[in-house]
This record gives sequence, C-alpha cells and structure tokens, in this order.
Amino acid sequence: MLAYIVRRTAYGFVVVLGVLLLLFALFFLYAEPIEMARRAVGEKAPPEVLEQWVVNHGYDKPTWWNSESPGDTMLVDHFRSMLTFDFGRSDADDSPILERIRAGMGPSLSLTLPIFTVGVLLGVGLSLFVAYFRETYIDRMGVVLCVLGMSLSILLYIIGGQFLIGKMLRWFPISGFDASPAVMLRFLALPVLVGLAEGLGGSIRFYRTVFIEETGRDYVRTARAKGCGDGRIMARHVLHNAMIPILTRVVVSIPFLFTGSLLLESFFGIPGLGSMMVDAIHGNDFATLRAMVYIGALLFIAAQILTDIAYTLVDPRVRLA
Amino acid sequence: MRIADPAVTSPVIATFSKIAGLRDFSQRLQALRDESPEFAALRIDRQYEKAGSIEGVRLHGDFGLEIVLTEPYPQILYWFAMPFTTPVPWEAVAYYDGEEGRPFFKDHPVGCGPFEVSEFDKQSKIVMSRNANWYGVQHPEWKAPGTVYPSEGEAIDRRLGRLDPAYVGRSLPLLDRIELRLEKEHIPAFNKFLQGYYDASGIVHESFDKIVQEGGLSPEMAARGMKLEKSVDPDIYYIGFNMNDPVIGAPAGERGRKLRQSMSLAIDVVEFNRVFNNGRGVPAQSPIPPGIYGYEQPYRNPFRQLDLTRAQALLEAAGYSGGIDPETGKPLRLSFDLGDTSTAGRLRFQFFVDQWAKLGIDVEIAATNYNKFRQKVKEGAYQIFMWGWIADYPDPENFLFLLWGTMAQANSGGPNTANFDHPEFNRLFEEMKGLDNGPERLAIIHRIRSLLEEERPWIELYHRESYALYHSWMRNVKPAGLSLPAAKYVDIDPIERKRMRDAWNQPILWPAYAGFALVALIAIPGVVTFLRERQ
Amino acid sequence: MSLVEPHVLSNIVVAVLLGGAVAAFAIARRSDLWSQAGRELIGRRPIAIGAIALFVSVAMLDSVAWVGGGGAAGNVLEQSRPRSVVDRMFAPDFKEKSYSAPLADIEFYGGADLSHPGSHLLGTDILGRDVLHLTLKGARVALLIGGLTSLIVIPLALLMGISAGYFGGRIDDIVFFVVSTLASIPTLLLLIALIMVLGHGPVQVCVAMGVTGWVGFCRIVRGETFKLRELDYVQAARALGVSEIGIILRHILPNLMHLVVITFVLLFSGLVLSEAILAYLGIGIDGSWGQMIDQARDELARDPIIWWNLVAASTALFALILSVNFVGDAVRDILDPKTLGEGE
Repeated sequence: MLAYIVRRTAYGFVVVLGVLLLLFALFFLYAEPIEMARRAVGEKAPPEVLEQWVVNHGYDKPTWWNSESPGDTMLVDHFRSMLTFDFGRSDADDSPILERIRAGMGPSLSLTLPIFTVGVLLGVGLSLFVAYFRETYIDRMGVVLCVLGMSLSILLYIIGGQFLIGKMLRWFPISGFDASPAVMLRFLALPVLVGLAEGLGGSIRFYRTVFIEETGRDYVRTARAKGCGDGRIMARHVLHNAMIPILTRVVVSIPFLFTGSLLLESFFGIPGLGSMMVDAIHGNDFATLRAMVYIGALLFIAAQILTDIAYTLVDPRVRLA
Repeated sequence: MRIADPAVTSPVIATFSKIAGLRDFSQRLQALRDESPEFAALRIDRQYEKAGSIEGVRLHGDFGLEIVLTEPYPQILYWFAMPFTTPVPWEAVAYYDGEEGRPFFKDHPVGCGPFEVSEFDKQSKIVMSRNANWYGVQHPEWKAPGTVYPSEGEAIDRRLGRLDPAYVGRSLPLLDRIELRLEKEHIPAFNKFLQGYYDASGIVHESFDKIVQEGGLSPEMAARGMKLEKSVDPDIYYIGFNMNDPVIGAPAGERGRKLRQSMSLAIDVVEFNRVFNNGRGVPAQSPIPPGIYGYEQPYRNPFRQLDLTRAQALLEAAGYSGGIDPETGKPLRLSFDLGDTSTAGRLRFQFFVDQWAKLGIDVEIAATNYNKFRQKVKEGAYQIFMWGWIADYPDPENFLFLLWGTMAQANSGGPNTANFDHPEFNRLFEEMKGLDNGPERLAIIHRIRSLLEEERPWIELYHRESYALYHSWMRNVKPAGLSLPAAKYVDIDPIERKRMRDAWNQPILWPAYAGFALVALIAIPGVVTFLRERQ
Repeated sequence: MSLVEPHVLSNIVVAVLLGGAVAAFAIARRSDLWSQAGRELIGRRPIAIGAIALFVSVAMLDSVAWVGGGGAAGNVLEQSRPRSVVDRMFAPDFKEKSYSAPLADIEFYGGADLSHPGSHLLGTDILGRDVLHLTLKGARVALLIGGLTSLIVIPLALLMGISAGYFGGRIDDIVFFVVSTLASIPTLLLLIALIMVLGHGPVQVCVAMGVTGWVGFCRIVRGETFKLRELDYVQAARALGVSEIGIILRHILPNLMHLVVITFVLLFSGLVLSEAILAYLGIGIDGSWGQMIDQARDELARDPIIWWNLVAASTALFALILSVNFVGDAVRDILDPKTLGEGE
C-alpha cells in the first residue's frame, strides 16, 4: 500500500514537471519581453526604461542554456520559482503575485464554496427525487429541464440574472463585494444564485444517471423483495452505493474552488482569483497567468492522487496498478 | 533622485535627463550597486548620498531650488507640477521596501495632504481617510490658505453655486473617508450609481439618452436631484497612416497623398460620435485639443469635412478610379491594423471600414492581440492604425511631437507610429517647441497646421467630452481636468443618501412568491403519489 | 481564379462534406446496426433532428459563395466580393445608419427615416446591419467551431488512444503522460494561453480548442481498445498473421465508431458554448453568436432597452445547443449498449 502511495505521488510529480515544461513553452518562447515591458510601463516610456524593466523581470537571460553559468537561464529560473512557490512579481504592475493570490483566495472561496456545497446538496437531493419518480412525468420533465438548463450559455445566466433579479426586481445588489460578513451575504446572493442555476442542470442529470444505474442492480431488487420501502432503499442503499462516482466528481472539482470563477467574478465585481486572471489575460500579465495555471494544475494533480488512494482504501477490488 | 534610480524604472526619466548630471547620477548609482552587494544593501538615502550629488540641482537656503538644464526646455515646469515630482520623505522610501511583509513604497504612498491612503487594493478599491497629521487638521486656528473653505473662486464657481455661504470658512477636508472602487463591468457600476450606491459616476453611453436630453439632464434625473458636469478632455483620437508604406505612405508620393486626403474626407466623425458616443466629443480639426495653446475653435480643416464627391475625385486623381486598383483590377485592398480584439472595438473599426467602402476601397480589419500588433509595428508591417493620446501637460509640443521625425517608430522606436518624417515639419516643430506662447509661436503653429492639412499622416477624429454625474447629496464638486486635488472641498449628506437609497431600492417580491407557487403546483401530484405509495 | 481564395476553398469543403455525408449514409444503409439506429433516432427526436438539419442547411448555403451575379448593382465593393447564397437572399445595401427595432419604420434613436422601412424582421444592430442576416450567418460559424474542432479532436484522440491501448508499453506510457499533463491544466486557461500563442482567428481558435479537447476522448478510446484487444477474435486474427494495421482497421476501429458518434454529438455543444466565453474575453471568432451576445450585453442597459440583438443570437444559440443535446442523449441511449441494457 505504502509503495503504491509513493509510486503514485512520484508519478504526480513527473506530471507536474510536464506541466511546467508546457507552461515554459507557452509563456516564454512566445513572449516578446520588450513589448511586455511597453505594455507594463506605458506607451510613453523610452527604450532604456523598457530594457531596465526586462532586466528587472529576468526576461533578458538566455532561454535554454547559459554556457557561462548554467544555472542562470529562463528555463532554470522558471522551474526554480515555480517549484519553490516564489512567483516573483506581476508583469503588469509589479505587485507580488503570491500575496495577491493569498488575498484573492478569500473572496474566491466565499463565492465558490457556497455554490459548491449547496450545488452538491441540491443536485444529489433533486436527482434522488427525480430518480425516485423515474418513468413518471416528474422524471421526464426533470430531464427536459436539465437539458434546457445545460443548453443556455453562462453569459446568458449572468446577463439575465443581473437584469431580472438585480435591475428589474431589485432583490439584491447587481454587483460588488464587501469583506465584512454581514454585507457580504447580500452581495454574494446573486452570483451564487447564478452559479447554482448554471451548474444544476448538468449535475442533476449526472447524479440521476448514477442513481438509476444503481437502482437497476440486484441488491435493490433483493431489498425490495425483503419488503424494504422505496424511500428507505433510495436513502440507505442506493445513495450509499453511488458514493464512489459522486465522490469522484466532487473531489475532482475541489481544486477549481480555489482558482475561482473567471466569468462570475469579473461580472459581479468580486476581487478574487478569477477576476485577477481576467485582468492578467487582458493585461498580458504572463507571470501571474503562469503562477495561476501552475497552482490550478498542482491542486488538480493532488486531488487526483487523493482520489486514487481513496479508491484503493474504499474498494478492495481496485487494482494497485 | 528617485526618478533617476534605475530600480524605479520611471517612465519619465528621459524627460528629466535634461537636468544636467541626472543621467550620470543614475549610472553611478547602478555601477556602485553592481560592484558591491554591500552598497546595494545600504539604506536608500545613504546610497544616494554616496553616489554623489546631481550637478544640475542646487539648493539655495531652506526654500530655494535651482535646476540647470542641458538644453532650453520650458515644458519642464509642467513636469514639476505632476504627481510624480511630489517631494517624498526618504525615510518612508527606505521603510517601505517590499521586505518582511512591508509593501513597496509605490504601493504605500506617504505624503503630506489632507487625506492618507488607508487601504490600497489594486484589484478592487482605494480607501482614503482624513489625515490626522495634516497641518490643516492639527492647526485649524492658523486658517492657512487651502485649509478652510474659500469664499472666492472663478466667476463660474459663484454662478454654479460652488461657493455656498454655508460652507465658507469651514475647516477642510469635509469628508472623513473616500472610497474609490474599481468596477470592471461598467454597466453594473452605473446601475449601482443609479441605485444610489455610488455618489458620483461617469455616464455609460448605453444609458445616455435616459440621463441626458438636449445637452442637459433629463427631467426624470433632474427630479431626482442629480447634477451634471461637462468638460472636454485634453486628448485626441486619430487614425494614422504608416508613412513608410509603399501604397499609402510617403514613398507613393503625390498618389499616396491624394489617397490619404480622399480617405480623410470620407470619415464622418459626427456620425461616429452620434452612434458610439451619444453625440459627445468635439470633432478634431488638428492634433491640438481645446484648452491647449494653438487650438482655435473656428478653425475648420478642409480635409476633415465629410465630402464624398471631392473624396471620389481625389481618389480618381490618385489613380484609383472608383476605388479600383489598376494593378489588380479589383478594389484597392488596405489593412487596418489594430491591437484590440474585443467585440466592442471591432464594431467601431467596422464603422470606419464601412465609410471607406463607400469610396470602393476594401479595407480589411486585422485585429490581433496587443503583443502581435506591437510586433507588426516594430516590423513596419502595418498600413492604417487607430490611436489616442492624452496630454501630459498643456502644451502643443506634447501633441505635435507625435509627428516629429526624431520620434518616428522606424527611426527611434518613439511614439510617432505614423512614421511621419517631413523635413519642413521637423524644422518648424523644432523651432516651435522652444518658444514661449505668443504671436511668433502661433504663426508657426498655423504653418504646421496647414502642412498637416495637405500631408494627412493622420485622420484626426475627436477630442473626448466627459460628462460626470453626482447625486443631490454630494456637494461642492468641480471638474478639474488634468489636476485632481479637489477632494478636500467635497461634502456628502449621509442622511439624505440613506433616505433616497432606500426609496429607490424597494424590492419587487411577487415573482418570487409566484415562482414558489408554480413549483409547488407542479410537485404536488408527485408528492401525492409518493404518499399513496407509502400507504 | 486561384484555388486558395477562401470562398473557393470553402465551396470545395462544402462539396467534400456533402459527398462524405452521402457516402457515410450509403455505408450506414448497408449495415443493419447503423440504419436501425438511424431510424430509431429519427423516430425518437424528429423535431430536434429537423432543427439541426435546418441549421446545417443554412450553414451550407452560407458557405457556397461566388463573385459577381446580380443583386449588388452600384456597389463596386459588394460586386467584387464573393457573396454566399444567404447573402444573396437579402437586398443589396440592406443597411441602416444605426439601431432600428424589428419591423420599425424609423431609426431607434433620433427617429430618422430608414432606407428599408418595415423590412428588417429582427431589427438592425448598432452599425445598421440586419440582425436576421447576422444571425443566419452565425450558424456557419457555430458549425465551423463544432465541426472543425471535432475534425481535429476525433482523429487525434483515435490515433493516440488506439496506439496507446493496442500497443501498450512505452507508447502507452508516453501517451498517458501527455494526457495527464494536459488534463491537469485548467481547460479554459490552457485554451487562452494557446490562443495567445497561436494568434487570433477562426482556425487558430479551433486548433486551440482541439488541442485542449482531445484528452477526454483519448482516455475512453484507450480503455476501449485495451478491452477489444483482449477479445478472442482479435487474438485469433493475430494468430492467423493479420498485420497490426489490418487488425486495427478491420476489428478495432469499427468497434469504436459508436463512441465516435456519441463523442462528436456531446463535444459539439460544449465547444460552441465555450466559444461564447472566449467571445466575452475578446478572443472569440468573428461573427459568432457568442460575439453577438457579448456585444448585446451592454445593450440591455440601454434605455429604452435594445433587446432584439440579444434575443436573436441567444435564441439561435439555445435552439442549436438544445437540439444537439437532445439528439446527443438519444444517440447515447441507442448506441451505447451499457445504458441500452438498463432502460427497463
């Protein structure tokens, strides 16, 4: 078992190295340092200032190989800074990236956590309800509603939510954020609602398939034959046995809680990591993008290792391959 | 000295290098830092001291400063009026060094004004609060100028009621706390202003017709007690031609000039402003915007008035009859190179393309991201572009240098993206820039203007007009263009604000009840089945 | 006239696609399994299939273009440009100066007279272009996004997945490594970074979406090939000395076709929806519905409100995705034996 964990983690590390190499190719080979400097310092800056900026940000070093001092290349710098979490400063405004990530995580989590928890609870609950009434009008209508919900673009959810609920009905403020908890709830209500509505269709449909597959199995028939009530079967046996696919879906989406939501955050003015990334995209801030992609990948890989290990613990049939 | 510090990467160092010895100081400092790490670790004031003094800067007693320049440059006075030449205490610079959790000095400004920055979050907001150490707050009994509300001002201030007697003589600042918020989406931001969550706002063009009617506030908004302030910004938006291009630039000689003139005559900027800017914006006649010396309101550029007939005639004279390029037998193909791929940007560019299409010229929008665009500019692989410039300081030199040959992109990588390098213009410009405002300077500006009329390296589009809105509870606002420090006069009536905000934001709840009812109605049969089965 | 001109190229692509579709149809007719599945699909989802057929034919009509011909008299530029069948369905210079409401007689702001009063079914946009025309043209872009990207994703995933699953060993290790690396990076961010590198344009965006999109399908193919390889008849074929390529082409690939069809349908809607997000970020494809929605989101705030742009683009987008999703569900039910078995 321990050997498996070690092997799995080692493989995860190799994948991290692969991700880093890819990031290097994406962000360094293509970058035009002087133009990045111009974008960062301003159109009006003279050439020597731009060159100074390039030196300050380490973009003047040789790309792959430095014959004088082998450790002093962009490639080495890239791996070193990423692996030690020393992300340096933003290409757009020189602010320390790690600090900004720390500051942005709170607002991001305060948006994604409610969407995630309520979403999972609602999704499982409603899909149990729908699966329970399978082959009736409730099930059919539920599935149709899910497909309808999945077919709308998230842009429409956001635009529609802001327009209807924020502007016409005035239930909640249209956008904004405040760190004090009492006020925060008011601001978060609308984006959370929009986020829920957007994700619910897909997750209900997924859980429903899982549950229906599970109710077709023999043990459910046995239980029913033994005289168990349908509700009891659903709640106890089916839910319990469907845990593995549900957990997989849930655990794999946890990393994305930390990286926030690009669209929701920028539309609703939440100063989290998602809107930070939108800014980085618009501002050509490669250093920030690189760090964020890396962190997202790292969390994802970690979550996958954990699920794999959890599998072997939960289900002895899973091969230790 | 900080501006000369290479570690600061100040974008204005080139300008200040006209101070004798500044660049030497900068180089000495860098050399010393490169040589010894011990020196680089010294406190910042010790480093500056060791690097020696700047030759062209001399002190005269406690209140006198003499600065020697290497060449005549009257505009330097404007630069000294800008925020980045505010004196700063070196203690603060040394303390806020980005180490041990302390922010950098530039993220933690220390100054001596009526407000201090208490929160600075680049992502969302800046909070300023009353500076308890300001001399005006510590010594209200001095009644020092600028610390009490004035009783005199410009004539227009009295007329607009800015010199309210109820305020005269009160100690400044009137506000305890100012919060500036960054909103990335302008529509929600404006809606929040309408709902009363912001005190002041610009106008988003989508809502313009609701707010402004016939140049003033609409009756609905006026009834809310809203106030409107208008001002013209010292800036210029223009379409430029790459003058090095063989088809539309200088190499094409007379043909190119006629083509540019023709294309300039086809652009209807009044219509552009009507469609995209709600009619705001002053159609530009020359690079010099209103409020800058050399701008003359009655002046009309003969090539900037919409005239399709004349444009067609010029196009024919250029050898492109009906827009057809004789070489290919097809409409002349040009590319409009832009560094903006947004949807909103694309619509604007399409507007110009549609106008040139009326001449039969086939202009293609080549929108790329910013980096790719800059790359094209560097390689000279562009024909037409669109750009804007905002004044650094109120002098015509700051606009006309954008066409100076020395500043050409191709020559020096400078901001003259049009690569306009015209000997006569260069001579006139060099003469003009050292002169003081006066008849001699104006005469040269007139000559430059008529030269640009003919040559058309730019199609001047418009100077922006800003409209700002304030709610009734915000008092004593005066738009100040390039200069900003007017916040200390502003006052707010929080009780009024609370009252109106509540009145405007009554939620409409019935759809929620209706929704619940509908869901219940649909679910009831299901629940009934459920109960029946349990029994 | 040279072959490389875009409209000639697009005409050829249309011809090839049509030919391919007819050929595929003919082959499918011969196989009992596929023709039965097709009949069942049409029986189950007639409306959705009809809607998709409509979208496809609009897109096809918009891809067939030629220069010249009547309908653009007096406009040199229009005459010299290739115009598609869809373009020719609208009057020449079917333009106003700016916004006008559906079927309105006057301009929306200012109330000036229109040059084509009462004839814009869905109104005009800020530049005075007919919204119905733009919406119809969006169909082609949407199908291009879904189609071209699938043409990249499916062959790539098949190649990688089959070679990994069939040959195993080193090849499998390498493919699995590439797949896990790509899968670890948040999709949207990888997409944005790729577009930054590749540049802005319809083909580039499709390539970027293809590179990020093949990973999931590759995993499925790999697993399925792994299972197929162990089957008796494949082993028998190998014992008889049939070449590896022959086995893959004859025995593995045909047994993966149902997965290809399911993946294509499910992939399609996801791709078109993610283009809408790219449009918001300013890196979408010109003329897409996503771009129209992005442009229209500001118009909702106008007062009086301008709704026709948003409604037209989002209805078209919604209708296409909805039909595809419905058909996708049905296709999965019909073709995937796993779910097929537990219907009752």
